[in-house]
Amino acid sequence: MARRQKAKAAAAGKRKALAALPSPASSSEDEAPEEVSFGVAREAAEAERKLVGEAARRHRELLKEKRRRHQELFAEQKKRRLLPEAVLQELQELQELQDVSARPAEQAAADDPVTLGEELEAEAVELEQGQAQRQGQAEVQEKKGKRSKGARTKGNYVAVCLKDHSATGLHQQLARDFLNAQLYGPHTNRVPANEFFSLANKRGPVKKAAIHFVDKSWGEYRKSQSRYCFLPLWLKVHLNKSRVSMLEHPGL
Amino acid sequence: MGWSRARVIPGATAIRRVRPVLGLCRASPGLYRALPGPARPYRVVPVPRCDPVPAQVIPGHEARSVESLCWAAGDRLFGAGLGGDITEYDLSGLSAARGVDGGGGPIWSMVANSTGTQLAIGCEDGSVKIFQVVPGGIQFERNLDRRKGRVLCLSWHPSDTHIVAGSIDFFRVIDVTSGTSCPRSSPIPSPGTAKRECVVWAIALLSSGTVVSADSFGRVQFWDWEQGTLAESHTVSTSAVLSLAVAQEDSIIVGTSTGATYHLQLLPVRLGGLEKRWVRTKPFQFHSHDVRAVAHSPTALISGGLDAQLVIRPLMEKVQKKSYDAVLRKFTFPHRRLVSCARKARLLLFQFSQYLELWRLGSTEETGKDGEVLPLCRMPEHLVQLKSKGPEHIYSSCVSPCGTWLGYSTASRFQLYRVHCDGDGVSLRKVPKVPKLLPPAYQLQFSADSESLFVASARGSVHVFQLLEPGGCKHLHTLRPPSGCSEAVYLLAPSADGHWLAAVSGDWAIHIYNLKCFKHHCVVPTYDCAVSAIAIHPSTNNLVIAYSDQQLFEFSIPEKQYTSWSRTVQSRGLHRAWLERDSPITHITFNPKNPSHILLHDTYLLCVLDKSLPLPDDSALLMNQSTLKQLPETARKRQLHAFKICKKFQPLLFMDLLDKNCLVVVERPIMDFKTQLPLPVQQKKFGT
Repeated sequence: MARRQKAKAAAAGKRKALAALPSPASSSEDEAPEEVSFGVAREAAEAERKLVGEAARRHRELLKEKRRRHQELFAEQKKRRLLPEAVLQELQELQELQDVSARPAEQAAADDPVTLGEELEAEAVELEQGQAQRQGQAEVQEKKGKRSKGARTKGNYVAVCLKDHSATGLHQQLARDFLNAQLYGPHTNRVPANEFFSLANKRGPVKKAAIHFVDKSWGEYRKSQSRYCFLPLWLKVHLNKSRVSMLEHPGL
Repeated sequence: MGWSRARVIPGATAIRRVRPVLGLCRASPGLYRALPGPARPYRVVPVPRCDPVPAQVIPGHEARSVESLCWAAGDRLFGAGLGGDITEYDLSGLSAARGVDGGGGPIWSMVANSTGTQLAIGCEDGSVKIFQVVPGGIQFERNLDRRKGRVLCLSWHPSDTHIVAGSIDFFRVIDVTSGTSCPRSSPIPSPGTAKRECVVWAIALLSSGTVVSADSFGRVQFWDWEQGTLAESHTVSTSAVLSLAVAQEDSIIVGTSTGATYHLQLLPVRLGGLEKRWVRTKPFQFHSHDVRAVAHSPTALISGGLDAQLVIRPLMEKVQKKSYDAVLRKFTFPHRRLVSCARKARLLLFQFSQYLELWRLGSTEETGKDGEVLPLCRMPEHLVQLKSKGPEHIYSSCVSPCGTWLGYSTASRFQLYRVHCDGDGVSLRKVPKVPKLLPPAYQLQFSADSESLFVASARGSVHVFQLLEPGGCKHLHTLRPPSGCSEAVYLLAPSADGHWLAAVSGDWAIHIYNLKCFKHHCVVPTYDCAVSAIAIHPSTNNLVIAYSDQQLFEFSIPEKQYTSWSRTVQSRGLHRAWLERDSPITHITFNPKNPSHILLHDTYLLCVLDKSLPLPDDSALLMNQSTLKQLPETARKRQLHAFKICKKFQPLLFMDLLDKNCLVVVERPIMDFKTQLPLPVQQKKFGT
């Protein structure tokens, strides 16, 4: 508090010193530059330097604060891992009920045995590279969590014991993501299996059609959408067309 | 032999999940090559003289991913992967024996030094750790200098004094004794205006102090380690170069993302001159997908690709004798039995890595001429899919001939089920209280009368279980070879009358047991080659053995000696075309109507061997079925020989004779699983 006041006072004093310098915009272009005494100029320069220094210091302190907050957050998340055991131990108390219900993140983690750190990272590293493997793994893990043993219900929550996943799961996932990005990333010039194996058909002495590996799920979404969207749209367009043509050619 | 084919199960083609080859390591004795897949079974392929020997498989684990393998201390196999553990594999027990946590996060590479006493691992956190190989396992020795950036590849200097570690955008040379890196860590510039980072996928340190690096821009670069300067740079590909192998300091094989492998050699600039330079000599295109692993033996190049193929290509200038051994070999399919057939119930059991599928075959009432496809009156149906619990892969499975018992085993469990087919529905009931045996069960086989179950186990022992109605199992006896055996049994063959059992263990010895008194009967004379298939004839009780060098033997069990037909075959010798085949026989079966018929199949052909007909000599055509069809009856009799081969169905996974002139053949077209592989790199071809 006192520090802040001092800082304010110092800032105010510097502003006065800076104000003492004549502003360049006020003087007209024909006149010679105004003579400024050395002492004033030196004070002004010092004040400016101090201001900049203060700003930099404040910025650094801000970053330090942020870092400290992040560290605390991580430490807390690490501690949170131990919480399920505490929850299971003190299940009877209403306080734990509140804690569990107040932490939706905890619940989500309990649903699939993924580390909390990994959750954060999963948000941060939101990769959309069509990695069905990873999604498949997550699904499998979710299923495992859902049919986990030893779940007790009391009230409107389910407490599940998390498997002791250390950070290896997270590391492994990061490593796999790196590998996938390097080998199958956008710069790698990969081609779908259809195109690749159709080359032989096109180049052979007997030209055949391209190989089309049929995946039954292709187009399902579009098909389902078109059922509702296409027909009304078509009708609208064509009815309008016929209406317009009738208006233009009333004799028809 | 004519055919009229009723179309077999369409879904049978979706049988196998193919395992891409991710890594290879060559043992210095030059005998074994181990290939890991991504969290899939390993195959330890003993390859003496490049014979297609059936591989021994170490069952895989869903959670275990393997990035690198190496041999150390003679014949101990170690694997490390993204899970961060270093696992030692028990080769006689075919399982993962011990695991040690690396302590540095995911392990990207692991190499053993030239004496096999130390292992160096490169970790995700940028550290290189040294482990000591001790008799009981491995022990952490120390950490070498750590820098920021994951260590993707490592290589020891042949004198074991230095290690070169390749990372992203740079590599460094570490002095092993002091543990510090050389002050200059050589940065690798990206070519042109490429904005992405340069990933060093493979690196090697030659004894002359040259560092060879393969990076993601498709370049193979040669650096002078002392100066830290680039000596030569070869751009071999537009896509990444993923693997590198060195042999004898003057020959390098690299594998790229496009499926091409290149051979680089150190050749003198002028004939007879002293100045030598690295030149890219031979391009090979054996794979359609990424080549993630290469190995270089003194005479051959071995590459494994993500298209699940293992290719052995002898290098012509190094091969002394141009014989059949100097021929390209490609292995795609496992030489194991993944399909079981319940003959009486007409059921097929398909073994996948995480589940089993039970299918009932269709049937037809019509008859037709040779070559016709008959319409089915009852379609094949998929009865049940049984998922295995846990992340471990299914190692072996079997269904009883009557179709009412089903069993499978993984590395740590053994399960038995009772199958009830009532009308349309099929129900599976697990048999409780299965006797506990030391897992894993390497092979399961039901007896012909479906009353006993034989389980192949470690140390050459076979457990005999009695199957009880309505659903129970009792351990009857354990059969063991009299002289003891350290390897596990991997093949079993019971006789049709339930009197005899033949078991083949990992040391290639075939023991025959008498099941009436549970005693060891005899041992088949040893042969210096692995056994790929055995079967006992239902009426004569002759044991037919197919070895992986394509030799066939017939051993009479009651008389304890080879039969006269077998001696004739050995004295005449088999046809040259038969001996030069690539894939071993995987299944032998018999024709109940004709006792002189033996039916065999390998990956590319099925053969009906008629013992009553003369054997072909080398001048005759081996695959003469098509010519025989066109000849008149009299001429045909002159040219008939014992081997009747059909190559119509390829690649074959299984073949068996059902009753009533019905043969079931399971085919697995390669194109069917190519879609499931990771994406290949586009290859621009002129005119498309």
